[in-house]
Amino acid sequence: MKKVLTFGVALAAMGSLVSCGGTDEESADSTSQATSAPEQTSAPDTEAPVVEDGVSDDGVLQVPQEFDTIQAAVDAASAGDLVLIDVGVYNEAVQVTTDDIVIRGVDRNAVILDGNFELDNGFRVVAANGVAIENMTAQNFTKNGFFWTGSTGYRGSYLTAWRNGDYGIYAFDSVGGVLEYSYAAGSPDAGFYIGQCFPCDAVVRNVVSEHNGLGYSGTNSGGNLVIIDSVFRYNRAGIVPNSGSYELCYPQRATTIAGNLVYSNNQPDTPAIDVALLAMGNGILSAGGTGNVIEKNRVYDHDRTGIGLVPFLEEDANDQIPTKDAWEEPCSESKLKDPVIPDGPLLWDSIDNVVRDNVLDDNRRADIAVASAGTDLWTLGNCFSGNTHSSSAPLALESLSPCGSALSADGDWVSGDLVVINWLVEVESAPPAVDYKTASLPDQPTDLENMPDASTAPAVPASSTPPVVDLAAVAVPDAVS
Amino acid sequence: MTCRRARLAAVVLGSIALVGCAGDEATPNHTHGDLESARVMGRPTALHLGPQGDVGQFVAECDFSHSAPVDPIVYPGEPGASHLHDFFGSRNVVADSTGDSLLGSPTTCDLAADSASYWSPAVFVDGVKIDPILATAYYRAAVGVDGSKVVAFPTGLAMIAGDQSSTSSQSTEIVGWVCGGSSRRSSDLPVCATDTPLRLEITFPDCWNGEDLDVPGHRRHLHYSQDGACPNSHPVTLPQLTVAVTYPLSGEIFGLRLASGEPHTAHADFLNAWDPDRLETEVELCIRRNVVCGISDGRLDG
Repeated sequence: MKKVLTFGVALAAMGSLVSCGGTDEESADSTSQATSAPEQTSAPDTEAPVVEDGVSDDGVLQVPQEFDTIQAAVDAASAGDLVLIDVGVYNEAVQVTTDDIVIRGVDRNAVILDGNFELDNGFRVVAANGVAIENMTAQNFTKNGFFWTGSTGYRGSYLTAWRNGDYGIYAFDSVGGVLEYSYAAGSPDAGFYIGQCFPCDAVVRNVVSEHNGLGYSGTNSGGNLVIIDSVFRYNRAGIVPNSGSYELCYPQRATTIAGNLVYSNNQPDTPAIDVALLAMGNGILSAGGTGNVIEKNRVYDHDRTGIGLVPFLEEDANDQIPTKDAWEEPCSESKLKDPVIPDGPLLWDSIDNVVRDNVLDDNRRADIAVASAGTDLWTLGNCFSGNTHSSSAPLALESLSPCGSALSADGDWVSGDLVVINWLVEVESAPPAVDYKTASLPDQPTDLENMPDASTAPAVPASSTPPVVDLAAVAVPDAVS
Repeated sequence: MTCRRARLAAVVLGSIALVGCAGDEATPNHTHGDLESARVMGRPTALHLGPQGDVGQFVAECDFSHSAPVDPIVYPGEPGASHLHDFFGSRNVVADSTGDSLLGSPTTCDLAADSASYWSPAVFVDGVKIDPILATAYYRAAVGVDGSKVVAFPTGLAMIAGDQSSTSSQSTEIVGWVCGGSSRRSSDLPVCATDTPLRLEITFPDCWNGEDLDVPGHRRHLHYSQDGACPNSHPVTLPQLTVAVTYPLSGEIFGLRLASGEPHTAHADFLNAWDPDRLETEVELCIRRNVVCGISDGRLDG
């Protein structure tokens, strides 16, 4: 009871989240719903203090051996503690509000949170800093598998998100993060998402995202944000950063997308939000993104573009597009400004992006492309160099807009134009979205790589400083044979 | 008035069956069906404008459940007495539903803990019933309100926002039509772009007298906060609930009517039956601590 009581006292000042005098079970009930523990190895005596009930004060809180539920253990944990979850299926939606704790499954493929299409988020980390979640699966949640919001310092490692109703793994309004060695499939929005942050100071690395509406989405995010060494395949669209005034901190900017394997993102039978239908058939698509660097990716087998820089049309805009001199403004400042709702739609052009040294093949409309809907393309400042490709839109794109040179109206910017406005019409005949609950997915993987020494490795809370990525060492990945 | 308007709508709509309105007219002295003017609750002095996320919030997305001529608040126990409503949230709503009876019932919302009921008048275009897609419920502190003061709705709290008897445009701070995720409300139907759905937004009062789950006339236990403060008569600060009902309509729309009458009779009802523990958790984590716990941007599954 000691740890629970301590936590309860800490919370007393801000409201009664836990029943301080109650049992572990009660404290869990107050913050999670529909909790049912897996078969236990020993039933805790709910009348006795936890410390006399076999809970050792070693900083490792074991579920279900010491706590009935994940929520009870999380509520009892203090900074630096490890919540270690044994094999089982847990019907919980866990809220995390304690800084600097680590929550880990002993077996990624056999520690499973299941929302049964009734619970909303597998884990929701609410303005708690430094929380790491490792080595487990979250499936069948109506919203997200793993979700951090309002947090500084977050890490998701060796996670599997399967068939969740919004995103697989989702970091919103959070900075200083790593999502790594993880897998997401079966969400109508993105498998992986980092949104509303600048600078984000985050890394997505060594992940696989497939059979989602979007492989990766990042609305209004960027600034030291790196997506690297990952696989995006069999989604409607692959990697799709975008701008929009429906969330704060626009525009999307300064994201590095490097060394990824992006292929066959034309999948017609996934769940999909409307934007995923619109973006369908593209490998890497900047939709109103700015200042991104897209390099050394291998991108092939797409119905539209391999790498496309296109505008994002926002009919229901909630603020004006900020002028360029405001793009360095951190999110913490820009979000405080009063919006000015425009009278008409906004066109967020893709601006100042660098596309270089990628290897592209069999992207049927164009391997590389830039487009707008009325803006002169040479004024946008995007550049293309060193890409292995056989088609582009406009036709001579690398000649027209090489990196390191000023762009001009000279040359043929018209021939081969993508005519991206047609996508707004073509979306009407796109294969319709499928309910995420019933969408056809491949067999759920049961042998995804586990965290090394999951049962014994010490707890390392998430750092707010992401790992330094050596971009010079990044190589174009091999194609799948 | 409710019934007269519904009947008028039925005549206009020809063969569309708006079931039974005879109830209150056949029993004119019946105490049920009395609904005071919304004016007694005041109106918000400001709305949250711009992108979502300027203040902490939590969001429930609730698919359309069913339509029925019932109204557990205004016509309790009188099925058929009300105009036709579209229901969201609890699937089990009947005319004599209460907060307690709905607790734990199956729900169309995206979290099982929200078994509350949300309803709005049915929508017809040229006499054809248009089933809505979903209702999105945004819970946050009203503009200027100190979120740390907000307490959760008690189970069974009955709220009605908007005036179904209105003969002209209502305050857009309470009721308005929008396109997609835009926060700009208009009292007239807007022309929404092809891929941007029409939504009806209704903002509920956020101050409570602390005593009554409902009152005769269904209004006076509640009030809108004014300039960030609740009046002494209604000292308990609640989350400000805004419900947005999304319809599969866009472009220029002619001949839209509500079961309650012209588009300016728009209104919505809320009968709280959230799991009390989970609701308390949401209010604590998202509103009192001012964290954006979820976003719903008006975009749709494709």
